[in-house]
Amino acid sequence: MTDDLAPLPARPEKPPRRRGPLIATVLLLLGVGVVLFVTLGDAALVFYEVDEAVEKRDELVEKRFRVVGTPLPGIVETRIGGESTVVFTFCAGGVYADVAHAGDPAELFQPGVPVVLQGEWVAGSLVEIDSLEHSANDGWFLLTDHMVVKHDNDYRTDKDRVTDVASCALKE
Amino acid sequence: MSTRKIFKRNQGATSSPKSRLLGLATLFGLVTLFVFAFFLTDPDVRLHPTTGEEIGQFDAVRLLYLHVPMAIIGPYVAPLVGAVASVGYLIKRTQWWDVTAHAAIEVGAIFCGLVLLTGSIWGRPVWNTWWEWGDVRLMTTLILFLMLLGYLALRRVAPDGQKQARRSAIVAIVAAINLPIINRSVEWWESRTLHQKSTLSELKIEDLTFFTLMMGIVVFLMLFTWLVLHRFRLGWLEKESLEQDVLTSIEERRSEATVNEEGTL
Repeated sequence: MTDDLAPLPARPEKPPRRRGPLIATVLLLLGVGVVLFVTLGDAALVFYEVDEAVEKRDELVEKRFRVVGTPLPGIVETRIGGESTVVFTFCAGGVYADVAHAGDPAELFQPGVPVVLQGEWVAGSLVEIDSLEHSANDGWFLLTDHMVVKHDNDYRTDKDRVTDVASCALKE
Repeated sequence: MSTRKIFKRNQGATSSPKSRLLGLATLFGLVTLFVFAFFLTDPDVRLHPTTGEEIGQFDAVRLLYLHVPMAIIGPYVAPLVGAVASVGYLIKRTQWWDVTAHAAIEVGAIFCGLVLLTGSIWGRPVWNTWWEWGDVRLMTTLILFLMLLGYLALRRVAPDGQKQARRSAIVAIVAAINLPIINRSVEWWESRTLHQKSTLSELKIEDLTFFTLMMGIVVFLMLFTWLVLHRFRLGWLEKESLEQDVLTSIEERRSEATVNEEGTL
């Protein structure tokens, strides 16, 4: 009996849990989750080449999408609705589309250097489009507001490279 | 005991005559690389065939002599070494493999972070953006970077050494699944991604540009080897110090017990 009434030995103290690394791990997992969410969301903004965007124009009307192609020579700088705008013809796979890009273009924006634009199809035309050298002039133009340059992987200095950049290659 | 304290206590113990030689060669290589990259090579400029205007990356191309070698080590070599060493640990269960994996991944995480940073600095003038969420290579590299950080965090969470090493090894192997996706992303999503395709595999580079890039890869591989070697030795000292602390504690408890028994008698 006396043994039962004797105070129990104190429980060994648990070592304090190190919460810092655990919090860091949870934050990292959240980070991966956010990255995947944003990426998947952005991937929904489909990436088309100019010829695909022209072909699927009926489906794409009133949708925002990304389009990749090569600007052709004859870029017109103007102001539309008070905003600086560049108007040019865009090409891929031998198909042309006219573009009005609102805002400052990329630093390396040049005819022959492929770019990725983000925007939508607009029915109608602009005065500036009529003056373009290679205008598609098909009653539609792309109104875009985001431009990134799709740089090529060629670091040679020979003439072949220059010709590649200038051409709007036809699909084989 | 913290890694910093162990390093201070064993200052010089992580180096050897050969590692010092490697360190000096790496330092010389880095200085030479910087001279070639920032002074001797030409900026990327060519004339447009119709407009006659200068086009290209201009001086931004110089950053690629650092970015590309780091991009070979951070997202490929280091996680691969880490994954192979982790498989080695799961088979052999020896500390050598675990410490090797930890060293490779810790150094790899730094390189991976620098790849994202230099890529972002290059992307601003060339791509017109600091970051592109829709670019598959950027995203898969970011995910790998977060996984490497997760590996390092996990090593501090698990309470017992073996459990910690086993869990970390699994994370390192899972992270390595991402490597072929990073590598092939520019081919698989060729017309759906912003990142350019591989220049080296298509040999669209020549002369001094090619030489400097190759030199960069060799120099950064030397730097990686030197860093991993030192981190490995430090990790090994850390393990030994931990074991020594445990042995000392046991010895102290035994002495205490002996004194108590003698007192009772």
